[in-house]
Amino acid sequence: MFTIGYGAFALSMLLMLVCLVLVARQLVRKQLEIPRSVRLLTNIGFALHSLSVLALLYLQLSQDYSNAYVVGVINPALPDYLKVTALWGGQAGSLFFWSWIINLCLVIALNRRHILQKNWGYLFALLNLLFFSGISMFLENPFTRVWQFADGTLTASLFSPGEGAMVYSGLIGQGLNPLLRHWGMVIHPPILYIGFGAFLLPFAETLSHLIVKGDGEDLIASLRPWLLIAWIFLTAGITLGSWWSYDVLGWGGYWAWDPVETASLIPWLVSTGLLHSMFLTQKRNIFKRINIILILASYLLILFSILITRAGLISSVHAFGESAVSMPLTVFLLAFLAHSIALVAWRWKKMDSGWEFKSWYSRDSLFLYTLVLLVAIGIVCLWGLLYPLVTQALTGTQITLDRGFYDRAVTPFFVVLVLLMAVCPLVGWSATTLKKFGKRSLIPLAAALAASMAAYLWLSKSWVVVLSIFIVALGLAVLVAITVRDLRKTEKPGTTFWKMRSRYGAFLVHAGILLIMLGIVGVEGLSDSIQGTLIPGDRMPLGEYGVEYIELTDHYESPEYLSVRAQIDLWRGDKLLGRVTPGQDVYESRSQYVSIPGKRSTLAGDIYTILLDYDETMGYISVQATINPLVNWMWIGSLFLCLGAAFSLTSPIVKEQAVRKEDEKLDED
Amino acid sequence: MKKKPNYKLIIGAGVIVLALVYMLIAASRSNTQYFITVEELQNQQSELQGQKLRMSGAVIGESIQYDPANLDLSFEVAQIPGDHKLIAEMGGMAKVLSEAVNDPNRPRITIHYTGVKPDLLKDEAQAIMTGSLGADGVFEATELLMKCPSKYESALPDQVED
Repeated sequence: MFTIGYGAFALSMLLMLVCLVLVARQLVRKQLEIPRSVRLLTNIGFALHSLSVLALLYLQLSQDYSNAYVVGVINPALPDYLKVTALWGGQAGSLFFWSWIINLCLVIALNRRHILQKNWGYLFALLNLLFFSGISMFLENPFTRVWQFADGTLTASLFSPGEGAMVYSGLIGQGLNPLLRHWGMVIHPPILYIGFGAFLLPFAETLSHLIVKGDGEDLIASLRPWLLIAWIFLTAGITLGSWWSYDVLGWGGYWAWDPVETASLIPWLVSTGLLHSMFLTQKRNIFKRINIILILASYLLILFSILITRAGLISSVHAFGESAVSMPLTVFLLAFLAHSIALVAWRWKKMDSGWEFKSWYSRDSLFLYTLVLLVAIGIVCLWGLLYPLVTQALTGTQITLDRGFYDRAVTPFFVVLVLLMAVCPLVGWSATTLKKFGKRSLIPLAAALAASMAAYLWLSKSWVVVLSIFIVALGLAVLVAITVRDLRKTEKPGTTFWKMRSRYGAFLVHAGILLIMLGIVGVEGLSDSIQGTLIPGDRMPLGEYGVEYIELTDHYESPEYLSVRAQIDLWRGDKLLGRVTPGQDVYESRSQYVSIPGKRSTLAGDIYTILLDYDETMGYISVQATINPLVNWMWIGSLFLCLGAAFSLTSPIVKEQAVRKEDEKLDED
Repeated sequence: MKKKPNYKLIIGAGVIVLALVYMLIAASRSNTQYFITVEELQNQQSELQGQKLRMSGAVIGESIQYDPANLDLSFEVAQIPGDHKLIAEMGGMAKVLSEAVNDPNRPRITIHYTGVKPDLLKDEAQAIMTGSLGADGVFEATELLMKCPSKYESALPDQVED
């Protein structure tokens, strides 16, 4: 299996090199068409790469402990699905898997023939593929084996490290860290990787466009599907990470401004800005420069995010161990950054859209503000990430910023952004009159005022909470009001709705953002918590609820760990709501435990309990119980983001022209 | 075609840039911490007292004391270098942590923290604390982050390293 895996990987890399030479030769001859031989070789190379991934999976599933990576991430008791996910559970495997994802994206693009059909675009994508494959091959090879010398010492090496050394398979690993044994692990990394990988294609295509044409025309139409797909996966990946982190205690809550979280948020912010500028380009053929800059920035920031995660430069819960990848990755990133800047500067004049700033409150301008705010939040995050590195370089001591920095600096921008988003649909294209604006906003404004009054009376007296509820209600009411207005104007509402799915897709995404804000308000502004030490039969109050401890149970769910669970009943008054079972999975062999929260989830919120400590002989437990009101709207909102973008995606590019007119018609009064 | 300079746009951009810079500076000022080592903290106790600090250290397993009823946690950490390169030269984080814990002559400091005890807090783990040094010489942590060198994969045993 080593031979198949390593051999197939080596061969596929060889084919990549051949393709590189072939394409470079074409480019020297000023030929832009990708030769058929290159297409064929790329496909064969991908097949070999896939074979090699399968070989590694086989090694993992068959527990071949002669493989050093298997020793690191697999143990006999690991269930099979986790043996598969171990592919991205360690540094070497996840880098290898990442290179395969890049290859997958490249091959899909090449064969679907929408983008990446010119030598330049192919070349840039191939360079990325080669770079990450090279890292896998030479720095972090997942096929490295364990060898034993005649004197019994062990070493890790691909091939025989010396005379008399034998492949050794007696090292049984401890397996995936218990914190990673969660089904978030099954989906969060691959989905995020696909999101990351899918951004490579627009990046490569844009660089190619700048070299070949450079006027910014007709670029977005071909990139739109990929950008939307990439954005959907990126959104889903980040959200799943957040949800996982909420579901498992050890990761620090739904969002902790951990450097890796922050680093993945920056490309999301920038690409969200891109979706806006791209929309204007499609409709009005403006903002072409901004598009191109944002596309390039999105992928470069993804590379930066990979660097943060992999290099261990900054302390984070996600950090992989120290690795040799940081230097080559930094150089690679800087090279592409310089290249991008140079190309944009070169084509700057040619990409001019002739747009002028005419009114403070036309929809064009509002799009621009949105864009600026999104990028501003991105800059705040980037500043926070780079601050320790910069201060270390300048002063010698590392000065870091804590999460208070992000909370203080991001929140105002975020609130303004959401407010803008709430009122934006009320404003027509180009200059609108304030009178018209006032008339349209009357009903939603009344609804929002009512909602915030209700929030003030029954939920919280904090002005931040009330303001946030006002914004959320206003935004949702505006979206509903406009949709109703649109559909009442036409005779066939169903047909209009379907024809205008890019419009209503965007509405859905905006509603999603508002719901996420609602969830954040719930967790940050309305939560309530209590902890106590209880013996069986004790009941402690939590808001309007009662938390009653029944008994402590334990059993071995797998031979690896003992599941200790506190059986806790939740009451509201005299009514039994249900049972939650917070506990700990105790891995005795590795003297580690994982806290498993017990949750009761409803749309109104979660009751979230943690077993802090227990004493089986004395019979008491210590529990923390928290109410997180509205928290589940965060996940529902995120689902809206993905569904809305997917809904827009189904609207084909060719028909956009016709749809544009419709859209503007709907916005007229 | 010669274009007029677009004053509205310039003013708008200026306002936004100013707001951004102000936010960054204001927020950075109040939320910074110096990243120091245990040794540095002990050598400059008087100057650093009360300042907001961030410090990394190796957890001494037997010193961990936890009162779950009051969420009261205290433990000792031993000096480890703050520099990544130095740690790499010394044979990697796992080795550095193990040596730090087993060397009684290393500078140590007691950490006090109020909150839920992290799952990963155990002997030879790397703890990153944010907080300040109290007058009693105990480091009051407001934030506690655990890092295991073997967080994602168990490293091969020492002898396996080539």
